[in-house]
Amino acid sequence: MAKWGMVIDLDKCVGCQACVVSCKEENNVPHGSPEEQRSRREIYWHKMIAVTKGKYPHVRTEIIPMPCMQCEHPPCVTVCPAKATFQRDDGIVVQYYRRCIGCKYCMVACPYGARSFNYKAQETKPYHHQDEPPDRESWAPWPFPARTQGVVEKCTFCFHRIDQGLKEGKKIGTEVVPACVEACPSHARVFGDLDDPQSPVAQLLASRASFRLREELATKPKVIYLSR
Amino acid sequence: MGAKRDMDDHLSGADEKGGRCSRLSRRKFLKLTAMAGLTAGTVGIHRQSHSVPSPQPVNASTTKGRWISTSCLNCPARCGINVKVAGGNALQIKGNRSSLVSEGQICPRGHIGLQVLYDPERILYPLKRSQSKKGRGVDPLWKPVSWDQAIEEIVGKLRTLRDGFGPHHLLLMSGLNSRSNEDLLSRFAEAFGTPNLVWGDDLDREAEKTGNWMADGHFDACAYDLDQTNYLLSFGANLLESTPPVARWLRKWGRLRREKPTRTKVVDVQPRYSLTASKSDEWIPIQPGTDAALAMAIAHVIIREDLFDHRFITEWTMDFDEYRQIALQHYAPEAVSKITGIPAETIHRIAGEFARTRPALAIPGKGAIAWPGGSYTGYAIHCLNALVGSIDVPGGILYQESPGYRTFPNGVRDEIARKGLEQPSLDLHGTEGFPAARVVTNQIPRSLLEGKPYPIEMAIGFNSNFNMTAPGTGQWEEALKKIRFYVHVAPFISEMAEYADLVLPSTTFLEEWGYDHSPPGSGFAEARIKQPVVKPIGDSKSIGDILFHLAERFPGAAAKTFKDMGGSAEGFVRFRTSSLLPWEEFLKKGVYQGPAYQYRKYPRIFHTPSKKFEFVSGNLRALQTKKGRSAKEGIASSPHYSELKWLGEEGQYPLILFPYQPLLTFGNGSQNYPWAQEIFLPMQGVGWVSPAEINSETARGLNLRDRDEVWIESPFGKIRTYVKFSEGVHPGIVCLPCGQGHTSYGKWQKGIGCNPNEVIGVDFDVLSGQSAFFNTRVKIYKA
Amino acid sequence: MERNYSTIEGTSRGYKVLVALLGVMVGVFIVSFLVAYLKGQQVWGVSNIIPWGQLITFYIFFIGLSAGAIIISSLSYVFKKEIYEPIGRMAVFMGILLMVGAMTFVMVDLGRPEKAWRLFMYFYLNNMTSLFAINSIFYTGYITLMLIYLWLIFEGRKRLAAIVGTVDVLWAIAVHMGTGAIFGLIGNREIFFSPIKPFEFLTAALTSGTSLIILISVVTFKLTRRVIQDELIFSLGRLLTSIILILLVMVFFDKLTHLYFPNREAAVYLLTGDYWWIFWIFQIGMGIVFPLIFLIHPRTKKTLKGVVCAAASVVIGVFGERAALVIPGTANPQPFFPGQIEGPWGEPGIFPITPWETLLSLSIVAFVGLLFVLGLRYLEILPARTGESIPAGTAPTA
Repeated sequence: MAKWGMVIDLDKCVGCQACVVSCKEENNVPHGSPEEQRSRREIYWHKMIAVTKGKYPHVRTEIIPMPCMQCEHPPCVTVCPAKATFQRDDGIVVQYYRRCIGCKYCMVACPYGARSFNYKAQETKPYHHQDEPPDRESWAPWPFPARTQGVVEKCTFCFHRIDQGLKEGKKIGTEVVPACVEACPSHARVFGDLDDPQSPVAQLLASRASFRLREELATKPKVIYLSR
Repeated sequence: MGAKRDMDDHLSGADEKGGRCSRLSRRKFLKLTAMAGLTAGTVGIHRQSHSVPSPQPVNASTTKGRWISTSCLNCPARCGINVKVAGGNALQIKGNRSSLVSEGQICPRGHIGLQVLYDPERILYPLKRSQSKKGRGVDPLWKPVSWDQAIEEIVGKLRTLRDGFGPHHLLLMSGLNSRSNEDLLSRFAEAFGTPNLVWGDDLDREAEKTGNWMADGHFDACAYDLDQTNYLLSFGANLLESTPPVARWLRKWGRLRREKPTRTKVVDVQPRYSLTASKSDEWIPIQPGTDAALAMAIAHVIIREDLFDHRFITEWTMDFDEYRQIALQHYAPEAVSKITGIPAETIHRIAGEFARTRPALAIPGKGAIAWPGGSYTGYAIHCLNALVGSIDVPGGILYQESPGYRTFPNGVRDEIARKGLEQPSLDLHGTEGFPAARVVTNQIPRSLLEGKPYPIEMAIGFNSNFNMTAPGTGQWEEALKKIRFYVHVAPFISEMAEYADLVLPSTTFLEEWGYDHSPPGSGFAEARIKQPVVKPIGDSKSIGDILFHLAERFPGAAAKTFKDMGGSAEGFVRFRTSSLLPWEEFLKKGVYQGPAYQYRKYPRIFHTPSKKFEFVSGNLRALQTKKGRSAKEGIASSPHYSELKWLGEEGQYPLILFPYQPLLTFGNGSQNYPWAQEIFLPMQGVGWVSPAEINSETARGLNLRDRDEVWIESPFGKIRTYVKFSEGVHPGIVCLPCGQGHTSYGKWQKGIGCNPNEVIGVDFDVLSGQSAFFNTRVKIYKA
Repeated sequence: MERNYSTIEGTSRGYKVLVALLGVMVGVFIVSFLVAYLKGQQVWGVSNIIPWGQLITFYIFFIGLSAGAIIISSLSYVFKKEIYEPIGRMAVFMGILLMVGAMTFVMVDLGRPEKAWRLFMYFYLNNMTSLFAINSIFYTGYITLMLIYLWLIFEGRKRLAAIVGTVDVLWAIAVHMGTGAIFGLIGNREIFFSPIKPFEFLTAALTSGTSLIILISVVTFKLTRRVIQDELIFSLGRLLTSIILILLVMVFFDKLTHLYFPNREAAVYLLTGDYWWIFWIFQIGMGIVFPLIFLIHPRTKKTLKGVVCAAASVVIGVFGERAALVIPGTANPQPFFPGQIEGPWGEPGIFPITPWETLLSLSIVAFVGLLFVLGLRYLEILPARTGESIPAGTAPTA
């Protein structure tokens, strides 16, 4: 079984945030507002942080794009009481909104702040994806729409693209990649099977020093950074 | 669920008997409770399914739709995009892989095009003002009118103008429009007979263009052969955020850093630690406005240490000796170090690296050239490229080729038009005031206010928002009040539209026909199509169609001109691109690639008197001679640094205002896009705001604390924002992002942040007409 | 000793006013719950940084308070200390109601309360690594056990009650330690992460529970004109003293450990950051120091007022202890990358006290209070007043 991972080259990353925007575009993630940003209720499946150190003129800012780390040992899966978030065989930690009771334990347990609680139904529908036909059949009898208030959501490594790609016999990592990887203009992001030594991700990891975030917590994230 | 409810009911006494619970019913209720719980539990367990579901949420990728090739227009780069459309709605935007300028990549603004298209506050039908008073914050009290009414009124007024005062009393303003619309506008202006057509693009790069023109005769920005460059020395440019075409820089950055055998070194010289500076190898803070001195000092070192490209200099340049004298005599690194604040050793080292790591590129940015004297700064920087032989070579400066659009049929001018076109233009370009300029957009307000060279009776603005984007907001606002009849053509009510008498809703770029190409650039030519991906929303019409419609109403010259060009916007695009590739292919692929770029075209590439690269500008001298001045008097003809002149006394206004443009600023005059607003400032991790960044030491010296609300005041106005301490800011400046401070419309932009242009004074680089953005001094104090 | 129990008459004006007021508050509960359910949780103070707010604080607080039931009931029925018998039934009844209140709090806090049945219906089929799921088994068993326990006591089956009571005590330990483990096992939140947390929770539960019993006993007996033995309160006070001292030791070691690396930053934030006052004034001051003074000082320790003051202080202080865990624990910004993160991600979260959330919390407290007051009226919980006639047709208690 493949073990999907992502490598982000911080040397090539240009901090443009196309990944942040294209994720929202792909997954119909609601945008925030000034009040929501102030009160920390914006939903970001993919965020970008900047870390600055030094004093003038010897200053340095690191820009780190952060999707869900898709940990191998995900603390969120450990603490979800309803098994609403679970890890698939291919390593992707998915969110099943139908089971989620909105207890927010996973948000407390996530070391990377990757999860957002959906506080209210999406307000401004005209901005995108209006009239898009919802795949209600796949949701079984309980008629939950794709985006529902009161549950926790997060980046899914665009598993819908991967599943459809596998169905169509496409190569994952080259022909089919998550939206953020596709949108990155500087080609700083690579996606593929960490277990396959021939894949670009494995080759990149073999060629340069890499690090993961908060490694001391032993969550073994599958989003790996190549440093500058 | 059942267990708890039962318990509640019974405990509150509401059992069947309705009265006090006796001991018997106590037993009963406890039993019932237990049974209820047990039953529910059993039922629950039986309902449990054991399979792990695989949900398929609704996503843009999995929805079936078709992809349409078109191009973006959220900034001047105009990148090729593919838009996915399903059920008549645009769902997703990606780069067009056929476009090689950015290798099919787009910046985040491309994706946000969806929010531009579906902006809920777009105008859907023409509007007419019913409040005669004009001013900021004065509600025009718009009344909807029909297109017919609107066009009638415009045509009527245009006719009156032509037959009466004369067509030159019409002012046409163009903000960010497709090349095809720009071409149509030029033709319209010509056929109508007005010389007064000003562009918005030119607030940013005129001095750079003039600097290049002085050296090699190309009145254009340079293209860069980035794939093979080994050293980038950027002066005042924010390559990854605001140097067009941005998407090309974003893609090539990845290529330059990690996709070639040698890693390109990038050195960023500017007063503020921008996003680009954070990604570069070295950030060199410089005293604002002294880039020319630094460029000349680098030239000094290269010449003195004999590191320049002898062959190119000897064979293809003129007046190198004069240039060498100037550099060696006046620009020693030790002296320049005092001017720029950069240590002399650094200047030595950078110069050595620049000359030894070939091919190397010196790039002028807005921060270096948007000053009085900025043309010479551009000239000085361009000369550095000549010194190291980076002209028209792989990895060096390229001369942007244009797609060979089919030439226009000869313009037909009637007598009225001829007379009108002979009049002096309102922006005074080419006159004593701005001798080498082609357009001086920011002169318009002054001309309007003074009524010189003549008053303007009518103006039409196409996607223009100069009172927001040009320095001297106050002056623009006063001037706009003086236009007797102003028609604004745009998809939304911008700050400029608030002064309009009539507003025509035009389409966004996703609903119109056009052709486009990037500013320099890639070197090789590339044209991109614009085709509607959805039907125009509301009652909006594309600018192309509006112009054709207007032209039809002027029988004779204008109508004829336009008829020969395809008869409609779509026809026009088809006509002009018919020389490039078959129409069907253009529709499908969306992109036309010109022939491969030829390097080293030295015999024919320099449009100068000597047909060589000139260190003393023959073009400028010729211009002066034409104006009746000898070469000795008048203005200098070679690159140099001149003492800065500030707007505002240093004593009273201790800091220099340094505006910068974050990547997520839109070029169309609106910022009403929440996807952009919420991530507006990545270096500060914050959106929806426009803080003033100040060096932490400077701020403490002014008794300010981080996050304090402050007024920033210049001799021209004051704006309010809050302070952010920064270690990446030169101690003498205060930095403000552009793009916020909107006042006209927009739930997601109105009243957010502040607009630095309100306090920036109106000043120019005289030679080119470039607006100066960085020489205004300000003071900061707690609000 | 055989003892008669009776209901309260419930005819006094004071009682009727109280019931009416509490009834109004239940209406407020329904309204504020519907507002949050329909409009969304943004009307509360919670955010993506501090996802747990007043409701979860009250939830763990109420779980803790219910421990009082176990102490008293085990003392009187398991250890057969007769002095505590008068308040035995009341304690167990309070325990049940407080657990019900806690369940209400946690279910109202859920994003989708209508799916809450998943926690209680699936039991072991839920994710057994999740303390929420394990606790739901514990809580359900706990409430069931207490119901059986109370029923046995009503029936007068003292021997069986003693057995069930013993099981209940052991089960209660699991409940409280389980609640503590919700926090103690979360590795990325340095303020939470500690093996002492379950023990700390148990001890704090015992202090707050005992204190609440003291308070409610004194107040209820006073208002219903019953006599309560001073020695009962004093002996509970002595018990309280020892438990507070144990709690002090635990808190001290917990915070001391956290002040060493790698948890130091978070501990310093707790002790000196925005929410320092919750820790120092409430948890330490009102939860430990003031009560100890009242309980140890010779002048106050022998007065009823002194002990009651100490008890009230402990109740408030332990509420502060819960809040000092929940709010600063998640407000502390997570260090995704070494260095100061720019913008909101690098700043501590802010938890505003919002009207809807406060109303909701207070109204649930009132709801529990209403249940208690009505229970006194319709169930024979309190000991009969001396000289009170037993209603005809009632069999004598066994």
